[in-house]
Amino acid sequence: MSAMKDLVEYIAKALADDPSQVHVSEIEGETSLILELRVGPEDMGRIIGKGGRTANAMRTLVRVLAAKQGKRVTLEIV
Amino acid sequence: MESKEIFFGANVEEAIAAGLAALGLSRDQVEVEVLDEGSPGFLGLGARPARVRVTPVTPPEPEVAVMPAVTEPSPPPEEPDLEEVARSVVGELLGQMGIAAEVHARHAEPESEGEIPPLILDVRGEEAESLIGRRGETLAAFQHIVRLVVGRRMGGRFNLVIDVNGYKRQRERSLRRLAQRMAEKAVRTGRTVRLEPMPAYERRIVHLTLRDHPDVTTESVGEGRRRRVTIIPRKG
Repeated sequence: MSAMKDLVEYIAKALADDPSQVHVSEIEGETSLILELRVGPEDMGRIIGKGGRTANAMRTLVRVLAAKQGKRVTLEIV
Repeated sequence: MESKEIFFGANVEEAIAAGLAALGLSRDQVEVEVLDEGSPGFLGLGARPARVRVTPVTPPEPEVAVMPAVTEPSPPPEEPDLEEVARSVVGELLGQMGIAAEVHARHAEPESEGEIPPLILDVRGEEAESLIGRRGETLAAFQHIVRLVVGRRMGGRFNLVIDVNGYKRQRERSLRRLAQRMAEKAVRTGRTVRLEPMPAYERRIVHLTLRDHPDVTTESVGEGRRRRVTIIPRKG
């Protein structure tokens, strides 16, 4: 039940300089899901992207999966 | 074993190829363990990407040799092919998103002389429709991520365009027609015509279409999502 987590993890690891510091945790509610993405400090900028563009792109893609499951999903980069 | 050695793909071969590309190694320099053969799913349900663990094989430490071992010059690493890498990144992402689709590659016509034409990967299939999104926003996000990942694996930036079921191609045709029609209107009425807000690549199409128009100039105004093209009749 964590296709969304896997997707975020896949993208973050593919982009990170240090994939071993990429961790995604899920906080699941009835109709909502919060994904918390942690990356190494050096990779923060790269994962968020200029003006948050990369983070927003990840959110958009996660939403495609969320829509299939009828869930609201929030991606936080912490 | 570190998880960074695990790679995904639409099938086992693509997952291995992704791993090799990421590690910059050839097939005989690694050990491959298939963790999950993946499944294309049925009607998009239960699709899983293939998962493999790719471990670089460390050559055994040579015994303390009396004679220094003759080290053969290693052959230059093979130049990774953009289309191959891009296909595997798109395949992996589609797998992660549970979308079964075909990927067709072609090169676009260069827009101006000397320009390297973009490589276009068209993702085709009914399930891929969900990748377009409102006004192509999901497609733009997908393309952004694919470009970044391909850039990481290949080292550099590449002119890579992702399309879904020819959406951009069709959109481009209708934008060109719209641009011409609105340019005529601007000339006829002598007034500036404002188009609907559009994403950057769509505004670009309008600008390019009217770039050599004798009677109008174009300009984008507004910020962010409200940014739109205006078509201004030339004075005189």
